[in-house]
Amino acid sequence: MRNVLGTRHGLSAFRTLTIVAQDPSVRTADGKVLLAKVSIPAEQLLPGPAGYRVSVVDYDATRNALYTPLDLGPGLEEPSDAIAAVRSDRALMSDPRYHAQNVYAIVMRILARFELALGRRVPWGCAGHQLYISPHAFCEPNAFYSREDCSLFFGYFTSSQPSGETVYSCLAHDVVAHETTHALLDGLRRGFLDRSSLDQAAFHEGFSDIVALLSVLSLTEIVSTVLDGRPEDPLIRADLLTKEKLKESTLFGLANQMGEELSGVRGQALRRSVELPPGKRYADKKEFQEEHRRGELLVAAVLNSFLEIWLRRLEKIGTISAGKKDRGLVVEEGARAADHLLTIVIRAIDYCPPVDLSFSDFLSALLTIDREVVPDDRYGYREALLKSFRDYGVEPAPDADTDGTWKRWEREMIYSRTHFESMLRDEEEMFRFIWENRTNLDLSEHGHIEVRSVRPSMRIAPDGFILRETVAEYVHSVTASAEELRDDFGIAVPEGLPLWRNIKLAGGGTLIFDEYGQLKYKVAKGLVESEADKTRQGAKLKQLFELGFFDGPVGDLPLLAQLHSRIGQLRRLKS
Amino acid sequence: MKPTQVRIRAYQVGFGDCFLLTVFYDDESARHVLVDFGSTGFPPGVKGNRLAAIARDIRDTTGGKLTAVVATHRHKDHISGFATNKSKTGAGDIIAALKPELVIQPWTEDPALAPKATGPKVAKGGANLQALHVQSLDAMQTVAERILAETKASRSLVRETRAELTAVAEVNVKNQSAVDNLRDMVPKSGREYLFFGEPTQLQDLLPGSKIEVLGPPTVDQHAAVAKEKDWDPDEYWLRFSEQTTPTGEDGALFPGHVVGRKQYRFPIDSRWLIYRAKRLRGEQMQAIVTNLDNALNNTSVILYLRIGKKAFLFPGDAQGENWEYALSKPNIRTMLKKVDVYKVGHHGSRNATPKTLWGLMTGSDNSKKAEFTTVMSTMEGKYGDTEETAVPRGTLVTALKKKSTLHTTQDIHAEDLYFDLTIDV
Repeated sequence: MRNVLGTRHGLSAFRTLTIVAQDPSVRTADGKVLLAKVSIPAEQLLPGPAGYRVSVVDYDATRNALYTPLDLGPGLEEPSDAIAAVRSDRALMSDPRYHAQNVYAIVMRILARFELALGRRVPWGCAGHQLYISPHAFCEPNAFYSREDCSLFFGYFTSSQPSGETVYSCLAHDVVAHETTHALLDGLRRGFLDRSSLDQAAFHEGFSDIVALLSVLSLTEIVSTVLDGRPEDPLIRADLLTKEKLKESTLFGLANQMGEELSGVRGQALRRSVELPPGKRYADKKEFQEEHRRGELLVAAVLNSFLEIWLRRLEKIGTISAGKKDRGLVVEEGARAADHLLTIVIRAIDYCPPVDLSFSDFLSALLTIDREVVPDDRYGYREALLKSFRDYGVEPAPDADTDGTWKRWEREMIYSRTHFESMLRDEEEMFRFIWENRTNLDLSEHGHIEVRSVRPSMRIAPDGFILRETVAEYVHSVTASAEELRDDFGIAVPEGLPLWRNIKLAGGGTLIFDEYGQLKYKVAKGLVESEADKTRQGAKLKQLFELGFFDGPVGDLPLLAQLHSRIGQLRRLKS
Repeated sequence: MKPTQVRIRAYQVGFGDCFLLTVFYDDESARHVLVDFGSTGFPPGVKGNRLAAIARDIRDTTGGKLTAVVATHRHKDHISGFATNKSKTGAGDIIAALKPELVIQPWTEDPALAPKATGPKVAKGGANLQALHVQSLDAMQTVAERILAETKASRSLVRETRAELTAVAEVNVKNQSAVDNLRDMVPKSGREYLFFGEPTQLQDLLPGSKIEVLGPPTVDQHAAVAKEKDWDPDEYWLRFSEQTTPTGEDGALFPGHVVGRKQYRFPIDSRWLIYRAKRLRGEQMQAIVTNLDNALNNTSVILYLRIGKKAFLFPGDAQGENWEYALSKPNIRTMLKKVDVYKVGHHGSRNATPKTLWGLMTGSDNSKKAEFTTVMSTMEGKYGDTEETAVPRGTLVTALKKKSTLHTTQDIHAEDLYFDLTIDV
């Protein structure tokens, strides 16, 4: 094993780097850009920085110029954060190398956060191991993830303020975290970028917003600054710590702090979701049939849970002097609540079906993973989540248990034709298991089944021991003419769709095996097996037909699909 | 005074529209309406100043008097002929001298809604949404200029992309002289800025006619007309339009930090990304201009003219979102079952003749309707490089030929100034 030269110690595991806490418009009391220190995995780095998962190439397509890479050193010894140590704000904000550091650190932090939550390496949605990042890709108020190009692209543009300064989207923490989440979610669930239900279309944006916002809120520097604008005061008034006040100060505060300049890039998800009063059935309303608006429901539900959980944690902190609490503790609890929620939100993806996701499925996945980790709900997280989602009209999945969690799999399965060890990692073996259990799993005899992934999920069990589960994803698809879908499968085909036209339908499921290799949950959206499946497929066909999905020549990849895998292009180009 | 005949003179403007509609009456008189006058490219073989030649022909044909001018929307290929010059000899000067009594434009051209108008007097629809939409459209045209500038400055675009980008961006760049001329060639009372359902004075100016305005809807009537920009309301176009034109690599963002190149080559390890980024930038600019192109197309005035016993449909370049509103009205759908002459929308592109509309006009049977005539002004090879995006679109042209008698400017020689289509009414 390679040690630090001349000692018996291993290489350091973490590197601390300075990032812009939110974006350069968020300032400290003395007018300086609010910075934050974050800890990310230490690694060998080439100039760029280019590491084992991320490669920053600072190419500007508008100007056809390549900018100097940042050289952070190889990381064999105690890594330093030289660039931020001595420089003034002005020098930092106008140095492309610092911009490179900022994107590198935030992307790695989000990646590490996903890996910490899941206990395994998490792939990007694109081919290869390294995601390219262009911090100054073009002059345009835009930023996006492109699966085909294996890259995150961040634009820059001129401010509309009289100063006419250049605004860099790569310096906005939430924007960088948002785009990184797209790449990670795409790696965890490739099918979520397919055209399906409205909920699924909204989910990518909503989920990325949630991760980005919780990532920002997990920085104590930010929470302390937005709370009451007096970060230097060691105490805080207890009467400011009610749900409404916290919503006003923290969430609205953050929304206000987020530079208006960048609203063309990041959208208004935070502001608009916070402004949604709870208690209405939004999901049925006309305006929420548009996917980006719909994504706000998810953001609203999770952020309200965050406030709820933070408040519960605050109850345990006493007042120090008359009506005042220790600011440090209050802030820390907030950051911790955000961090904890972030873990659950990420883990829930493992418990989601691989296709046709609905918000209800996500809620059931959240509740299930939390029950797995904290069976007695002693912190009341499940209660808070359930209430919050219901407040925005999202109920647990219809096929879930009475408490909203997924039902445990009770059926007898055939294990004798497969091997425990292989089932932990081998897609072929997993397919054999599915094949042998086709009937037990209620899979139609028609169509083609593909195992997309077999992954371990590691976490610490409530008793402190390491718990290892296996998560497998399969997709079940069939291609048949519209006429066959109608006559043989009983699926409603929209009027006007040519009956000779071949259409590919997909279903699929997530299988979760316990530490003994026994099937514990099947979270699935059937192909055509049940009446509910048929209704779902019919509704999906109708929606695709109305969107013009079947207008193009047969066999041609519809334009929609091509554009959709480049998320956020044109910041939410109609897709 | 009864109309006896209608003549549609389709001028050879290459890629563009220019139709002179002449209604002949039983008292030997005639009235003339000019519907659009613009071009973005002529077929090879066109000599001299074609637009001026057309303007002179219009002057001679009308005997110096135009009844009305319709500018369906402000795209260059529909209005460039209205541009004037300093010596007052431009095509637009000649048209202005024909003293039309009426100029019809879409509501989005109403100066009262103009971006910089002080204290916006919201004349129509009653909401600021209209003004906001107009502001966005204005920003989009500025964006078109930016894209055109970037396209010209860029050394990294492939030839096809560059050609396509230049073509679409040019159409969308503001043509101020033509816009001003259209506004000023008539006194205020003769300016109409129409939206769905409004009456028009044109009906009185053309005795024996009944005219319906089928589009564009206002944002209040149909929010989808503003939808090309809905990923973030207006913000995107406004921000984008404020950008200064990049000046290529000399204007690098961080002049002190530019990596030098050996000859033209970037360092080996950066080339893959650079290749992808360049290609992507081209595609992205195409997506942007296509979006703003669609948005402006959707401001097109759609006119349904019943003259004598025949019905004429002039939809400009209206696309799905514009048509949607009219097509949602049962009485309009009934009306559209009777169309004798259809000016093919948007030079035969895929989005401009919605299926519902086509179904209504042609009926459900597969037979050719001898009395259904279509007129198209277009030129191949200007737009689109796939069957999907080509203008005119192959499948539509096949359908037009199959179900109607199609007259297109593609069928006449480049040196011919026009073709005439005469219909007894």
